[in-house]
Parts: sequence; C-alpha cells; structure tokens
Amino acid sequence: MNKLYLWGIIIVAAMLGFTYLSVGMSKGGLNGDIVNMLAVAGAVALVIITVFVVIKYVRQMQTDTAEGELADETWDNIGEYKNPVPFGWAIMFLGTIVWGMWYWVAGYPVNAYSQIGEYNEDVAAHDAKFNAQYASITGDRLVEMGESVFLAECKVCHGLAADGIDGKAANLNVRVEPKTVKWVIEHGSNNHILGSEMPMPDRNGLFNANTGALITDAEIEAVSKYVANGMSGEGADVFAGVCSSCHGADGKGMEYVAPNIAEFTPTLVTNVLNHGKKGAIGTMPAFARLNAKQKEAVGAYITSLSAK
Amino acid sequence: MFHWLEKHPFFFAVGVFVVISFAGLVEILPNFAQASRPVIGTAPYSTLELAGRHVYIKNSCNACHSQLIRPFKAETDRYGHYSLSGEYAFDRPFLWGSKRTGPDLHRVGNYRTTDWHENHMKNPASVVPGSIMPGYPWMFTNEADVDTAFAEQLTVAQFFSVPYNKPVPLKDGSTKIVKMAGSVAEAHAMALEEAKAIAADMKDQDVKDAVANGKIPEIVALIAYLNSLK
Repeated sequence: MNKLYLWGIIIVAAMLGFTYLSVGMSKGGLNGDIVNMLAVAGAVALVIITVFVVIKYVRQMQTDTAEGELADETWDNIGEYKNPVPFGWAIMFLGTIVWGMWYWVAGYPVNAYSQIGEYNEDVAAHDAKFNAQYASITGDRLVEMGESVFLAECKVCHGLAADGIDGKAANLNVRVEPKTVKWVIEHGSNNHILGSEMPMPDRNGLFNANTGALITDAEIEAVSKYVANGMSGEGADVFAGVCSSCHGADGKGMEYVAPNIAEFTPTLVTNVLNHGKKGAIGTMPAFARLNAKQKEAVGAYITSLSAK
Repeated sequence: MFHWLEKHPFFFAVGVFVVISFAGLVEILPNFAQASRPVIGTAPYSTLELAGRHVYIKNSCNACHSQLIRPFKAETDRYGHYSLSGEYAFDRPFLWGSKRTGPDLHRVGNYRTTDWHENHMKNPASVVPGSIMPGYPWMFTNEADVDTAFAEQLTVAQFFSVPYNKPVPLKDGSTKIVKMAGSVAEAHAMALEEAKAIAADMKDQDVKDAVANGKIPEIVALIAYLNSLK
C-alpha cells in the first residue's frame, strides 16, 4: 500500500521534471508565455490526477471481494451482476428519450435553418425598405429612378442613349418610327398594350372612311410619316379617315379601345413591360419581374425622353 | 437476439452502422429523391436545343457563364427566380459553372431574344458597350451536329426514362409533348422545322439561306437552346 504511494510520488516527480526540462529549458521557456504556462499547468494537473486515480483502482482490485446476485445468462463465461440502474443515470436516459421525441417532432422542424427562409426574410426586408424610401416618389426623382432601372435592364437592347442601337431595338426617343407604323398597319398587332387582349386588324381590315375602300400603299406611306412625325404634316386626312375612329382624332387613344400613338404614357410602358411585344423590329421579352414602382419609373423616364 | 449480436461482432458492427446512419438516411434520401425530380414546367430538350447545348459545351460557354441563380435578392432581381435542383433533371451534365466572368444564363430565355443573341454572338460589343466577350463568327457558318443530339436523345430516353413523346406538365396547368424522332432522317427534318422558326426571327441572310437549303448553322441551334433556358 505504502509502496504504491511511493511509486506514485516518484512517477509524478519524474514526469514533472521531464515536463520542466522539455518545456522550461527550451528556447524562451515559460517566461511570459501564457499559453506555455497554461499547457504546463494542465500537464501537471493531468499527471497528478492520473497517478492517483490509477492508485485508487489498483488498491480496489487488490482488496475488493465480489458480492451481489449474478445474472443467469452468460455467453463468454464472464458473469454480470444484476445491479439496479443508478437513479441519476435512469433519469437522464428517460429524459433523453423525451427530449428526442420533442426534437424529432417539433425541435428540429420548427427551428431548423432554411436557406429559402433566410432569402424570404431578406426579400421582405428589402421590399419594406424600398417601399419606405421610394413608394411615394414622383416627378424628377421618379424619372431618375426610371433612368437607373433603364440602365440596368433595358440598355442592352435599347442602348445607353435609348436610341435602339442602329435599329436593333425601338428608338425610345420618339414615340414611333415610320417603319413601325407601316409594319403594324400591314400586319396588325396584338401586344396587350392596353393591358388586355385588343387586336388591331391588319391592312385587310382597315377601311378609309373618306374613300370607302381599303387603305392603299400610298396612304400607308403617308399616314406612317404623319404619325411618326408627331401627328403633323401630310397624311392627316388618311389618319382622320382610317385611324382616328379608334386612336382618336389627336392620336391619344381611347381607353379599352386603342393605345396612345401620339406620345408615351407610363401606363403604356408598364403594359409593354408586363406583356412584352412583337413588332417591326423583333420580339421584346416581358419584364414583369420589375416591381410596380420600377415599371412606373421606367414609364416616366421613357415618357420624359420624347417629351423634351 | 442481443446475445446473438454480442457473439457475432461483424453483424453487431453492421447493426451499429445502420442505427447511427438512420437519421441521415431518413432525412437525406427522401429529400434528395424529391428534389432531383423535374419541377413542373421543366421539359426535356428538343433535338435542336440539344444540338445547341452541345455547341454551348463545345465553345466552353460554361467557363464564363454560370447556370445557377442563388437565393439572394441581388441575384433574383437580376436573373429571376432562384434555381431549383429539379430544373436540372434533364441536364446531362448540368452546366452550373463555377465562375461568372459573364452573367448567369439560367433564365436568359426570359429576357433576351433571338435577334438580340444574333447581334450579340456576332459582335458582343455592338450591343453591350465595353463587353469583354469575344465574337463567335464561326457559329454562323459551322453546321450543328444533329446526329449526336439525336443519339443523346435516344440514349437518355432509353436509359434514364426522359419523357420524350409523353405529356410533361407545365406551370399553367397544361401539358406539352416534346417529340423525339423515330429515325435519323426524321430527326433532321424535325430539327430543321424548329430551325426555320428561329431563322425567321434572324437577320443574317447567309443563315437564312442555309436554313432554307436544309442546313442548320450552329448559331441557330445555340439560340434555340438559349431561348429554352427559362
């Protein structure tokens, strides 16, 4: 018994000495280095605890005698006592089962992290901020916002100057170009520009009230220039005879019947953004994913381009 | 039973492995199976679109363009709805890409058109000032490989049950049938029909003439593919 303690003390002293030699004598040593000191203190504690725990169990093995009731079944000839489950352990075991059930049905499903959930929160926060800052802007600020949206979304086709890049897209600095008017008269149109289905007939459905006949090539030529020229010049009589019954005498359109072809309006631009467009130049895709205020702003910006 | 397990360490180890991996299996496998199914609106590629996809891969478009929109507001504002794993169900291989030198293309069909792609592939800087993307003029003369595209269709239809010639549900509740030809000649004819619709919206006279003469330039196939990315 005393021998054990003696050996314990010898081993502890030897290991502490070794630790001191290997750490304390190395370059820099323990001087001022808190990490090294903590490591050594930890090592010392571990050594002391280990040695005395080992001594305790060695003594127990030397002195303990078996007692209690052995279990009946054995499969490797090593007996097992029928000891009751320790109370604290049993409580923790049952507690873990209860916690596991809660975690399975509520804990994980309700509190789990979701990437999409974070995205939705982010979007909601941004939308709230946008609405707080921009929902009520008007006038020049709206036009400025429209310009920035235009530069992000529209310029790749319509160009930085909104001139359509040499005919690759519509020139938005004017309401319409002659070739656009001509194409629409020849092919008809159904672009949801009013926001709903409202087709315009092609030339086979366009009568000139003045002559009582279908519109002719010369008349198409004339009225195209008239409309593209901002409702002025020659061709006024053709417009009055053919187009004005739907588009109005001044070309400003009628609600639910025909769009404004004299000037852009924010509503008209919004409808084009919502539905896209197919016409003389090609197809414009819909940009419905812009929010309502952004569409209104783009409309204000485009209206301002030709209003100058 | 437990005594039996304790006497047979190998089977005990197997049992332990099953118990430990159980939580992972019940959470990961069903979710994975569900997420890898095509989402509503995802249809297989037509012959011409598949040929265009091969052009896309051949020219390494995926080296600069990703096809994966992440769920961040900044990305969904610019590119549209974030990508779902089921949308890649018919992509073999997927073309997620790992680097965006150019913009993401996963939904480019929603906001770019045939005539725009035509201008852009010929000379990117003509529509996007300052663009560093090179032009791809050879696509206007090289012919698309319809044979390989058809071979791929046959293979994926047979081995992966890709639903060709079967109704595929769309977002608006209707269905769409993507046809696959029964022979090589028929595949060429079907691809040409599709190519005619694309070429009608294009301006390059050489391309229009080639399609009228029964040839399919790579650019037509590529545009068909890009337009299908929605």
